[in-house]
Order: sequence, then C-alpha cells, then structure tokens
Amino acid sequence: MIKALVSLDADLASSIALRYACQLANIIAMDLKTMHVEDAAQKGSPPGSGWVRRTWENAMLKSGEVEIGQLIQAEKLSYPALRAPKMVVGDREDEILHEIQKESYDLFIEGALHTFTAANFYNKIRSKLYRHTPCPVIMVKNLVKLEKMVIIFKEEAELKRLVVPFLKIFKKASIGLDLMYYQFAESEELPQDSNEDADSILHNARQILMEAGWQTGENRSFRGLPEKLSEVLRDYGLVISPFRRTLSRKGLLLEFLSRIPSPILLCWQ
Amino acid sequence: MRILAAVDQYPYSVVAVEEVAKLALNTWADVTLIGVGPKLTSKRSRSGEFPAAQALDQSFKDAIRRYRENFLSYFQGEDSPYQQQRCGYEFIEVDKGRWEELYVCRGARKDLKVRIRQGKPAAQILAESYEEGVDLIVIGCDQALNCTWQGIDGIPQKIANNAACSVLIVKDAPKINRMVCCLDHDRVSQASLEMINQMVTLHHAELELVGVTTGEALRADVERKMDLITRYYSARNVKSWIKLVEIADLETFIKQEAQGSLVALWMGEKSILEKFFPMKKVVRLISASQSSVLILR
Repeated sequence: MIKALVSLDADLASSIALRYACQLANIIAMDLKTMHVEDAAQKGSPPGSGWVRRTWENAMLKSGEVEIGQLIQAEKLSYPALRAPKMVVGDREDEILHEIQKESYDLFIEGALHTFTAANFYNKIRSKLYRHTPCPVIMVKNLVKLEKMVIIFKEEAELKRLVVPFLKIFKKASIGLDLMYYQFAESEELPQDSNEDADSILHNARQILMEAGWQTGENRSFRGLPEKLSEVLRDYGLVISPFRRTLSRKGLLLEFLSRIPSPILLCWQ
Repeated sequence: MRILAAVDQYPYSVVAVEEVAKLALNTWADVTLIGVGPKLTSKRSRSGEFPAAQALDQSFKDAIRRYRENFLSYFQGEDSPYQQQRCGYEFIEVDKGRWEELYVCRGARKDLKVRIRQGKPAAQILAESYEEGVDLIVIGCDQALNCTWQGIDGIPQKIANNAACSVLIVKDAPKINRMVCCLDHDRVSQASLEMINQMVTLHHAELELVGVTTGEALRADVERKMDLITRYYSARNVKSWIKLVEIADLETFIKQEAQGSLVALWMGEKSILEKFFPMKKVVRLISASQSSVLILR
C-alpha cells in the first residue's frame, strides 16, 4: 500500500483534487492522508510571541478546520476511510515538503486548475515544493473519470526510469494503459525521424512494460506541435510523464503539460 | 419553455428549424415559427384588412409551411406533443364516484404557432418575443456573409443585443464537439444551466466552464458556484472541464474557441461579463464566429 498526501485548502482546486484522490484510492491500494497549511504570512504579522502567538495560530486553525472539514465530509461517502486533515500553521510549501520528507510519502496530490495561459503552471513547476519533493506529484487540473491513462515519453531511457515509480503506485491496478511516443516541433515542420524508428521505440517500450507485468492497449507515436498532442490526450483520466527538474521554462514539454486539461502525474527523472 | 424561431427563405433557416426541433424533442417546448415579410404599400380593402392571399407572398408562405412540416417530422406518431387533436373513449368521473365512458377529443399538449409579421425584421422578432414572453429566440444566419439575415447586415446581432431572453444564433458549422460557457458563475440561473445541459446533450459535446479571473485566482464566491455547477453536471453525466481565463485574455480566448466550439456567454443584467466583454464585442463575436453562439440571460 502506498502513502499519498493531498494538500487541501478551502477552494475549488482542492475540492477537485480530493474527489480525484478518493477515486484513485478506490482503484489502487492507497493510504490517503490530507493536510491543510494555514499560511500565516497571508493573514498578516503574528501579534506577538509565546502564548499570544499560539492563541492567534490556534484561532486561525479553527477557522480553517471548519471549511476543510466540509470538504472531507462531502467525500466520505465515496471514500469512508478518509480522516480529518493534519492542520498546520506556517509556510505552505515548507510545511508540505517537510511532511512529505518526514513521513516518506510515495505520492503527492494537489489541485491546480487548468488555465488559458501557462504562467500559473510554470510558477508551480518552478516552486520550491516541486523542485525538492522526492515523490511523484499528481496535478489535478480537472475532475475526470480514471478509466484510462497514458504514459508519454520521448526516449527509451526515460521510460525505463519511469517504470519503477509507476509500478510502485499502480502495481496491478485495473486501469487501461496506453503508450505515446512523442517528438515535438516548434512549427508545423515535422522532425525527420522515420516511422520505423518510432515503431521500434514503441515496441521496446511495450516490452519493458510487459516485463513489468503491464499490458498496454494502444501504442501510438506523435510528431508535431504541443497543442495538437494536448488535444489528442484529452480523453485520458491521467497523463503520466517523466519530468526533469532542469527543464528550461521555454521547453516544449512544459508548454505541452500546461495545455493538457487532464490530471498529470509527474515522475521526476 | 417557449421558443421563438425566426425564419426566412434562406438555407440557414432550415438548420435553425432543425436545431429548434431537436431542442423541442428534449424539452417539449411551446414553439412559434415566425417569418417577417416586407410592409405592404398597396391599398387596404374597405374593411381595413388585407386578404392573406394578397398580403403575403405565396413563396414565403410556402417556405414557412415547409418549416412547420420539417419541424413536425421530428415528432412521429401519437406521442407528438404538437398533435392537434386526439379522440377516443375515456372513462370520465361525471359525478363523485360515478364514471362514464365518453368520447373525448383533446387538443395538443404543446403549442406550435406559425406566424408572419410585416415590418423591420429585428423589431418584429423582438416585438414577438416580448409579446409572447419567450425564453429563447433561435435565429440562423449566413456565415459566408458575416452573419447576415435576409441579406441584411446586423439583424441577429441586434436581436442578441436587445432581447430580454436568451438568444441562440445558429450557424451551419461542422459538428460541434465542445461547448464553451463563459458564465457569471456567481449569479448563474437554473434556467441557463438547463439550457446548457440541453445543448450539450443535443450535440453530444463536451462542456468547458470558463472561470474569468481578475488577478491569479477566482473570487471565492465564484469558486463555490463553479464547484456546485461541476457537481450538478457530474450528477447528470455531463463531462465538464474547468478552465481559468484572465479577464485581459478573454477576448483572445473566445475568438480562438469560436472557431470550433459553441460559445455561450452569460450576459444578464448583473453579469460581470457585461462589464468586461461589452455588447459591441459580442456583436463582433457573432459576426466572426464559425460556430453557433448562445447568449444566456
């Protein structure tokens, strides 16, 4: 059983993330924990230190507890094992990162609503939390049924590295899995790679997953603009992507990931 | 629900009538088909009235009748809510505890009116919509000529601008796969939610709910409303996506989406969209959009 942490705030993104996480927990063996960080910095400077500060923090936590409690109560019907969230006062990213490292979570889930422009997505990817979190992250952009997922990759080596975290999370889950080998272009002019190369890479990738006990459904290749691929993958309940933290902000993979409306699982490379 | 379908003799009106028939199939709406002809200049009879044969152009009357037939062809058999009269023996309670089998003729369960008005098209269609208290006006337009009606510029746009109810401008576009709804989610009405539900079902389309943001995030009350809306559609098995669009990017976004999606805009009196996406921009959108546009009120 893997350990997963869902970050909750009293907002739409968290509501969607929690519903998605409960759906996932009903499919794979998962110990689902929730956490809410009351961001002290957003509420102004603390009024003092010691007892005064603790009282101020406790009052903040109480108000957050009611709103988060409503989210939890609403989802208990679909996932009865859901418990009360861990409530902490502090810097959101620091506290979540600390919790993930301390409790050795295998998966972090949070809501990140899909936006027309990519700025919010880039900021999240560049955040301290994403740069340092040791476990894979699911960014839930929309609430979709998790019936089918797809692994996207552009190199065989990437896929090999992705297999370990993928198997740890999904083991023998009964969800359809497809494979997509991609090559992005900056314009309509396509890369020169031949179909035979793509076929052979896909064949090897399928073999790797088969050896790991996963039978893939559709195995496809894509060459072209990132926005076109994001439309192709619209129907998937989860898009799984290997991800290097050193990727340039102007990279086509980042642009593509920002355009996908479905939830994405980032497996750090 | 009462729908007013404005029709003329151009091919786009066939598409508009089809759209109305499909909507009426799902909603059992009262429907009025209205054609607008030119004002007559010939003299009236002594009684002050024109005989219909003289007042109305024959080909126009025939076209309107064909639209009625087209509309009714969607409702086959006894179950049609627009069937004029159905007669048969029925037991009726004639007194307390005393029943008698009587031969009863019942009228249509739903209204289908076919009307022709004379005068300026936009003014007449709007007048009919006010007098009849319709919930939705449906009107086609010639996309190749910047959404003209009867060869005249700006009629659907004028109707969308001045109607008190929702307006659907139908275009003969390829199949719609997505419906993009820019709603004032804070004050969205149940009727408009149902309308969206109907359109999505009719076109087997995906629904994209667009939250307009000012700054990075949505307002808390708008967020709550969007959460309720997604739950509402999810309970009805309607696949809905959420997308946030910054108010500064809204025009670009809508232009982009209007190339292949049915765009719905909530333009009620209290709408924040009214402020940020004024009617002159809506008029431009109606003219330029490749697919249908729905103005919700």
